[in-house]
Amino acid sequence: MGIHDVTGESDGDFVRRVLNGDTAAYAGLVTRYRDRLGRYAMRMLGNQADAEEALQDAFVRGYRSLRRCTDPERFGAWLFGILVNRCRTLGGRRARRQRTVVHDEVALSRASVGDEGEEFALRETIQWAVAQLSAPNREAFLLKHVEELSYDEMTELTGVSVSALKMRVMRAREELQRLLSEVVRD
Amino acid sequence: MLRSIIVLMCLAAVGPHWATAQEPRLVGRLTAETRVQVDAMLDSARARALPIEPLVDRAREGASKRASGERIVAAVRRLTDELQVARDALGSRSTPSEITAGASALRAGATGDDLAQLRRLRTDRSLTIAAAVLADLVAVGVPADTAVAAVLALAEFALDTEYLALRENVERDVALGASPVSALGVRVEAAAPQGDFGAGTQRPPARKP
Amino acid sequence: MTERGFLFDRVVEILKEPVAIDPALDRRVIKGILAGPSPRAAPPAVVGWLTRRRTVSVSPLGGLALAAGIAGLALLGRSALQLAEPSTAPRTATVAASTEPAPSVVQFVIVAPSAATVSLVGDFNDWNVSATPMRPAPGDGIWSVTVPLEPGRYRYAFLVDGQTWLADPSAPRAFDDDFGPPNSVLTVRGS
Repeated sequence: MGIHDVTGESDGDFVRRVLNGDTAAYAGLVTRYRDRLGRYAMRMLGNQADAEEALQDAFVRGYRSLRRCTDPERFGAWLFGILVNRCRTLGGRRARRQRTVVHDEVALSRASVGDEGEEFALRETIQWAVAQLSAPNREAFLLKHVEELSYDEMTELTGVSVSALKMRVMRAREELQRLLSEVVRD
Repeated sequence: MLRSIIVLMCLAAVGPHWATAQEPRLVGRLTAETRVQVDAMLDSARARALPIEPLVDRAREGASKRASGERIVAAVRRLTDELQVARDALGSRSTPSEITAGASALRAGATGDDLAQLRRLRTDRSLTIAAAVLADLVAVGVPADTAVAAVLALAEFALDTEYLALRENVERDVALGASPVSALGVRVEAAAPQGDFGAGTQRPPARKP
Repeated sequence: MTERGFLFDRVVEILKEPVAIDPALDRRVIKGILAGPSPRAAPPAVVGWLTRRRTVSVSPLGGLALAAGIAGLALLGRSALQLAEPSTAPRTATVAASTEPAPSVVQFVIVAPSAATVSLVGDFNDWNVSATPMRPAPGDGIWSVTVPLEPGRYRYAFLVDGQTWLADPSAPRAFDDDFGPPNSVLTVRGS
């Protein structure tokens, strides 16, 4: 379909082109948001395979329902909402599958702290600690502190009330600090 | 035997030096005989201030496609002639990219006069994009004279980005099923409020209702 | 700063670190899209051609060209690193201030299910038939390669199995048919 340069094109430009039939233009949006959205999926789901599955699924669903994107200039935010949903669905499946493994992971992670480079161990520990949070608390924590959304934006995205979201974020912080303080003290 | 004599005579005609410069990028890609002829043409082109890159690329393309030496030489000669016409039409201060794009426009069906007109209308600005868009419009099926008329109609006022947007829009409309001419007609109307396709030129065929 | 406060900042800092997702995901997304309906209500015949999955048989050489042509895409995009911070504002305001023409990253894609090898050949690699081999995604016959290109205009074609030249069906045709098989033209815009 000819060659297009993504430089200077807004999300709205891309969306309009795709809706006019330029399927290839969607690739520009995928490239633009792949890593940014991928970060959330990784933190939320804890492993690459699940994150990529959620991400791919979100992009394809985004394309299929592109007409329902009411504000094309904010395609990224709209797509992020789709991804948050996919992560919920996928996270649920994964938790059911891996419930019996969690105990072992806890033991392993605690045992490995301090064995390798401190920085690497800290990263691993943090990933582990985030993974210990309940899914709703983890989601709220990531949206607030990593994605840096306002509570209003989070309500719009998740459908959860602001007060409930604030509670989840607080619980997540407390839990993380408890887990990480214990580890550091060991 | 006769060909070798002709080649040697051409070499002698190039200049006082017996040996022409060897284009290193063609060594090993062409037969020695072909390379001698192509090197001579490159030397001549250099002397006439024509861009060499497109000629070397053309020779390499021919080599990769296993074309005969004759065909490669003919292709390089044809392109050299087009580059020359483009340079004559666009002026001696044209950049290599303008001359190269001009040659593409000529291959697409524009004339030297069209290029000269483009230069007159679009003084002090690069013509590379305008000429390239002209060639690309023909590539999606717009008849050459219509493409020329459209590009000239916009030449005075359009920015390069507007030329590129025109091309992208026409390509998209054609992919959606519009005829190339109607796609172009609608777009040029949008870009140039006057809507006239240059002074004195024929209007394009009627637009699709 | 308390120990807990320090840890919290460090946690957030680490969680905010960028994550590199396999760029092959782009291709899987496009493949997933092409397998299904487009977002348009009633696609005209040509758009249907673009979005419908290839179903023609491939046996004769002509059939190969047709099958390879369906859903061939040539895409242009900045490297993922530069697009890591999406903005909802129009992007013209955020284009790099440098006056140097920066290379753009171009991905070439073509569908050739029964090819053993495919390479990209053109002005940007000196028409060297082995300089830019394309890689197939496993099992789906989609070949692709990513190339950084300076702004300019390039003629190119795909070489299948070392002997069949194919133009890019989704790109404008070049007129220069000096050697028989047709080429495609790619224009890389400068900023």
